[in-house]
Amino acid sequence: MAKRVIIVDDSRAVIATAELALDGLISSGVIEFKSYLNPLELLGALQNGSENFDMLISDVNMPEMNGLDLARAIKSDERYKTKPIIVLTTESSEQMKMTGKEIGVTGWMVKPFNDEKLVKSIKMVLGV
Amino acid sequence: MKDLRLLIVDDVEDNRLVLNAICRKMDGFAIKEAVDGLDAIAVCEEWHPHIILMDVMMPNLDGLEASKVIKSRFPETVIIVVTAVIDPQMEAHMAAIGAAAYIHKPIDKELVRFKLQSFGAFLRSKDGIHAKLSTKEALNPFCSDVRHLKTIFDITDAEGMMDFGVWILSRCEEHQTFSSSKVDPVIELFYELMRQGLRAEEQVSIIIEESFEEIFITMKFDKPVVLKAKTQELVDDLQSYCIIRQNFACVRLNIGVNQPKAETIPVSIKTPEVCIAVSPSLLPLSEVEDLKEVRVLQSEEQTLLRQSFVKKTSAFEYVADIGGDVLDEIRDLESLDEEWRESLNTLESEPSVENIRQFTDGVLAVYVKAINNLFEFTALAYALSSLGTFMKEQADAVINDPKKLKMLVMLTEHLGSDLTSWREHIFALQDAADIHYLDSSFFSSCMQIEQIVGDKKIDSEDDNDNDMEFF
Repeated sequence: MAKRVIIVDDSRAVIATAELALDGLISSGVIEFKSYLNPLELLGALQNGSENFDMLISDVNMPEMNGLDLARAIKSDERYKTKPIIVLTTESSEQMKMTGKEIGVTGWMVKPFNDEKLVKSIKMVLGV
Repeated sequence: MKDLRLLIVDDVEDNRLVLNAICRKMDGFAIKEAVDGLDAIAVCEEWHPHIILMDVMMPNLDGLEASKVIKSRFPETVIIVVTAVIDPQMEAHMAAIGAAAYIHKPIDKELVRFKLQSFGAFLRSKDGIHAKLSTKEALNPFCSDVRHLKTIFDITDAEGMMDFGVWILSRCEEHQTFSSSKVDPVIELFYELMRQGLRAEEQVSIIIEESFEEIFITMKFDKPVVLKAKTQELVDDLQSYCIIRQNFACVRLNIGVNQPKAETIPVSIKTPEVCIAVSPSLLPLSEVEDLKEVRVLQSEEQTLLRQSFVKKTSAFEYVADIGGDVLDEIRDLESLDEEWRESLNTLESEPSVENIRQFTDGVLAVYVKAINNLFEFTALAYALSSLGTFMKEQADAVINDPKKLKMLVMLTEHLGSDLTSWREHIFALQDAADIHYLDSSFFSSCMQIEQIVGDKKIDSEDDNDNDMEFF
């Protein structure tokens, strides 16, 4: 059964480039891909149970809500506590990463990303 | 001690504020402002500034006319032109009037300080005040005994960079070849190269060799040099006066009265401590043209991508602070949204170099101009212009490859949507908690497009930077 991978990023261009990178996994049915531009919309859908995921890829700097705040909110919900969240961002400060680690984020990757390394990491985290 | 007087001339208050904020952090300068060319002349009459930062387009009397009057009355005044307009004719006029240097908008504050401090130290040295610029034991660049020998600058910090700037200015002044059109681009080029080298923590050395009529400035690199777009432009402008190879850059500067003839240009000799600097005229043309950029993630770009704005400014605060004119210009960009899409649709249905240029010059360039007026968004403007440069470079490859074309159009359309959304969050809704939420991400997307469309594998200088870090 395909794993549900959600990406949340305020940039359509980032979502499109990530989708292109993951095209092989999507077209072969290994993952199903869903994107959100607004973290608040995703959080609402997760909280009311209309959305679910096997892996979340989140940006950090978004106008409506910071990606780390989103991760913290999701991780505080028992239903999603153990689900992997990876951060895909241009931010690379140690302090920011440390915050991510404390929240329980699984991994951190900086943009612009290398397609092959993104796919490899996602496969590793999902165990596919 | 504020021994030098600096006058900032600009009709836009925000611009004066920005320049003033940059300049007042330097020691030794008393600063005044003038709001147009007439005001500038009036201030010069009573205050006699040593250096003037002069805007060009101003009401009442523009920067060109004001500079003419000021240079005719006070020929010693150093005029540095601050302009967003790259107009060779205007630059030629300004050079003829005697403008000493240019500062291009968007303003690079470190470059502004570098130029002002170099001119400052240069003016002081003319008055016999030799400020000690470097705390290190360095070769004395002003010693006549070494002028016909190699002069070596070991650049380890900003002070070392300044020593080099002062030396060049002073050297050219001695030979009455103090022309902005020649010296200024050379200083800018080496400033960029030195800064790039220092940031990469490389050993930066500049070796100067002299003939009777020319000086040859050579900089060695530990690693193969990667030029960013701005540096490449400087190299292009210098044409045959500059040559860059993987391990060195060399510029020749004519300091004599007569232009040297090509056949008399000496080839510098290879010695154990100096790299080979071959005169461009002796290289086959094809070799000169074959200088290609290797597109890896550069340290400059790393800095832009990874810049962190410690003090977060909210969109609400920011918009309250900027001028109405700038805001109107940004709001006018709304009319470009449709043009952005249509221009890309036209390109997709009728692929041609002209249609790529229509998009880059007719749509992208308008965006760059508007964003350039917002000093806060240098990274965004840089990203957009680098996208334009990339599209023009790749024009032939893209129009002949339907798959690449489709990909480029699709991704660029998304970038357009991102910009629309950015305008909404910053200027209309004003709800972004951090005005810089898009900058780095947008730049990153532009690079990602280069990776996908240009078959260029984007890689960081440090390979591990691209790995996912697991916690």
